[in-house]
Amino acid sequence: MNRKALIVDDEELVRNYVRRALAGRGWAVTEAANGAEALRLAVPGAFDAMVCDLKMPDLRGEEVIKRARQACPAMKIVAITGSVSDIKAPLAPGVQADGFLIKPFGIDEIRDLLEKLTRI
Amino acid sequence: MTSKANILVVDDEPQIAEMISSALQLYGYAVQTAMDGEQGVARVGAGKFDLAIMDIQMPGMDGITALGEMKKLDPEIEVIIATGHGTMGTAIESLRKGAFDYLHKPFEIKELLKVVERALEKRKFNDITRAIFSTVRPEEQLRVIIDSVTRILKAEESLLVLPGRDGNPYIAVSEGLEDPGAAASRLEMCSRIMDAPEETSKSAVLSENPAGDRRFAGIAGLDKLKSSLFLPLREDNKPVGLIAISRLEDEAYFTEDDLQRARIFASLVGLALRNSSLYRQLQETQGQLIQAEKMSALGQLAGGLAHEINNPLSGILGLTQLVMENTDKAGQNYADLKDIEKAVFRCKKIIVSLLSFSRQEKAHLEPVSLNEVVEETLTLCARQMELQRIKINRQLAPGLPMVNADFQQLMQVFLNLFTNARDAMPEGGELTVSTSLDGAGGRPAVAAAVSDTGGGISPEIAGRLFDPFFTTKAVGKGTGLGLSVCLGIINRHNGGIRAANRPGGGAAFTINLPAL
Repeated sequence: MNRKALIVDDEELVRNYVRRALAGRGWAVTEAANGAEALRLAVPGAFDAMVCDLKMPDLRGEEVIKRARQACPAMKIVAITGSVSDIKAPLAPGVQADGFLIKPFGIDEIRDLLEKLTRI
Repeated sequence: MTSKANILVVDDEPQIAEMISSALQLYGYAVQTAMDGEQGVARVGAGKFDLAIMDIQMPGMDGITALGEMKKLDPEIEVIIATGHGTMGTAIESLRKGAFDYLHKPFEIKELLKVVERALEKRKFNDITRAIFSTVRPEEQLRVIIDSVTRILKAEESLLVLPGRDGNPYIAVSEGLEDPGAAASRLEMCSRIMDAPEETSKSAVLSENPAGDRRFAGIAGLDKLKSSLFLPLREDNKPVGLIAISRLEDEAYFTEDDLQRARIFASLVGLALRNSSLYRQLQETQGQLIQAEKMSALGQLAGGLAHEINNPLSGILGLTQLVMENTDKAGQNYADLKDIEKAVFRCKKIIVSLLSFSRQEKAHLEPVSLNEVVEETLTLCARQMELQRIKINRQLAPGLPMVNADFQQLMQVFLNLFTNARDAMPEGGELTVSTSLDGAGGRPAVAAAVSDTGGGISPEIAGRLFDPFFTTKAVGKGTGLGLSVCLGIINRHNGGIRAANRPGGGAAFTINLPAL
């Protein structure tokens, strides 16, 4: 059975390569361009993992992660960011992402991390 | 013939004006006369006078008012007030308004000449004071000082001696001492005076017939000196140098008057030196502020920029790698993609180092041994250095006090300095690392110096060394952030970092950190 991932980033370029990198490893990937869309899509059982940017125009990534975590406690969450100053945000209480990648990251980094997190 | 000085005589009684001006002309002064206050003021406005001799009781504008007007037009002019009906009151008022002195009519010519000479001497001193204080550039200032002292004390030779970095005094500037042998003997005289603490605490030291003076026993080549005068220079009450002036055999001895002038002069010079050292400090502080400003502006820029650039960069990296997966590894396309991938990693490295110094992150401070930091960093680099035929020379002082520092950040500083030293010596050489106790700044501090035997720092780049993105390395070899990072870290530790050239060639970087 295909594992399912949600990639949330306002940057189309990033969504594009993350989707294709994961698709190459048998993931079914859905894209969301902002936080509101992500929260609408993230319902229990819909995704095994979510990759979420921390800086988006509508909602802060931390907020999206926090709410998605409440809605889908079983979903693994990876925070991604281009800003090193965000480095502590995914570790904040209530947020606690399962993984964290700093842009620019390569296709193997995101594949390996997601596979490690969703291995049963 | 050039006259000694330009003097204006202002008196409403023509006979008196005539009498004074003839007497002064007889002694070589150039004299003009005016009949009342208005005319006198107009003359001062139109021409350059060194001195005015002025009656107080005149029709129209009186002497006191004219004095004030003249000083407004030319603050440098000296005015002597002459009065027939003088009371102590008008005399004091005239002095208060800036008159040099006053004379009671009728006065003797001799008395007049004496006051004129004194007034002109004061003016000369004013000129010199202005000259000495007009510049804060050290080389220029020392030259002005030596020129002035030679002139006012009518000396034939003069020199200004300063303590060198190695502790030995050297001649900073001199006048009339072209012969190296003569210069060396005068320097030796100065060294003797500077070595005798009781001499340097005096305001002036006189030696008549130096060749026979016990203080200079054994120094050859002093026979031609008739009389020498030594003026210790003091700054903040500490001796900072010595002026020596001499008159030769056929000249007159220095008089008590000369000695008095010399003392005044030395105290002026002390003030001027203090002035320029304050100015230097100000400039240094200003430089540091500008540097800090640059860093903080760059830090803000870097934070925003990193985010903006990292997004597209991430796309370039990811897409490149995706295409690579579908490309024949043996073809040119694959090699080109590999180069693009490498370029992205280079950009990533630049951004990371940019952020690492612009981040105003607080250092994790704990008592740290600077020697230990140096040793650990050297261990990291030892292999690299060996490969490049660089000999490591350790001169670590034992028993240094600890410093309050972030161990990792200090390692970063030394790593950057060692890397720069290595890159400065592509043909091999010697890297010297020394640590020492540094009490120069008043507070105890620990210093570390990293020096190489490379090409040194050229004067054109000296001012830009610590600027972000400034590099002399080939494209792709350096980010231009190494020394900026060092500066940022050392500043956060309340320390200082300086760059200089070593006397024997090569660069030396010195770090100071406050001791615990």
